[in-house]
Amino acid sequence: MAHINPPGLPVERGKVHEFANSIGAEEPLYHDEVAAKAAGLPSVVAPPTYTSTQAFFGEKNAPNMFKELGLDLRYVLHGGQEFYYERPIFAGDILTAEPGETNITTKEGKRGGSMKMVDTFTNYKNQDGELVLRVKNTLLQTAGVVKE
Amino acid sequence: MALKASEVKVGDSYSQRLVEDLKRTQIVQYAGSSGDYNPLHSDEKFTTEVAGYPSIFAHGMLTMGMTGKLLTDVVGDGRLTNYGVRFTNQVWPGDTLDATATIVALRRDGDTHIADLEVVTTNQDGKVVVSGQASAKLDP
Repeated sequence: MAHINPPGLPVERGKVHEFANSIGAEEPLYHDEVAAKAAGLPSVVAPPTYTSTQAFFGEKNAPNMFKELGLDLRYVLHGGQEFYYERPIFAGDILTAEPGETNITTKEGKRGGSMKMVDTFTNYKNQDGELVLRVKNTLLQTAGVVKE
Repeated sequence: MALKASEVKVGDSYSQRLVEDLKRTQIVQYAGSSGDYNPLHSDEKFTTEVAGYPSIFAHGMLTMGMTGKLLTDVVGDGRLTNYGVRFTNQVWPGDTLDATATIVALRRDGDTHIADLEVVTTNQDGKVVVSGQASAKLDP
C-alpha cells in the first residue's frame, strides 16, 4: 500500500476527534474546540495514547516495523506500553518523534516457547523543541500462537 | 475536573465499564484512526489460516486507550505524569471489558501533589487483559 508521510506528527482537531471516538471517549475536551477554549486550553487536547496515530502519519506501521526488526508478523504481540508525560499535547502541535535505543532480548517463555522481547524508546518534541512525551514500547515474538 | 489531594485517600478506587460486546467494527475503526493495519486485527483469513488464531483480536492500544478513558475521567486531562501497562491477555470481538483504578500512594513532589494508581482491566470471564500503573498530579 502506498504511504506518503507528512513531516512530523501533526496533532489535528479532526484526528483527535476521530481517535477519541475510536476508543469510545466522549470527553468534550477531545471533540469541542469551543469547550476546550472555554476551559482555558489552546485547543482540543489529545487523549493519553494519541501518539499511537504515528502509524497513521508515518512509516512506523506494523508490517514495515516488524520487517525492519526481523520479526515474524504472525507471532508478534504487543507486550506493553509506557507513556511518560512532560506536557499536555493540543491540536495545532506538530510533534517530532526521535527514536531512541532498541533493546532486543531473548528469554524462555512459559506459554509460547522461546520468546524475543523488543523494547523501543521514542521521545516526542513539539514545534518549540520542548519534550512533551517519552514512550517505551515492548513487542513480544513468541515461537508460535499463544494458547490460553 | 481534577481530584483534590485533600479529598482522596489510599485505597479509593474507581470503576468503569469500557465496552460491552466489543464489535469488530470498533476494532476496524481503531485500525483506521491509529493507522495500525496489522492484519491480525483486521484480516480474518490471515489471522485464522496463516497465523492460526481463533479470530482477529483487538489492538492492545485500543484496550489501553479505553482504559485511559477511566484514568482521565477520574484525574482529569493533562494531569497524568505517566501511564504504563502490560497486555496480559488478548481481547476478542464480543468481549465486555471493565476497568478499575485504585489509589495506591499519595505523595508530594515539591509543591505538587501526586497520586499513584494501579489500573486493571478484566474481561467478562474475570481474566485480566491489561494491568498497569499511572501517576497523576492532583489539586491541593
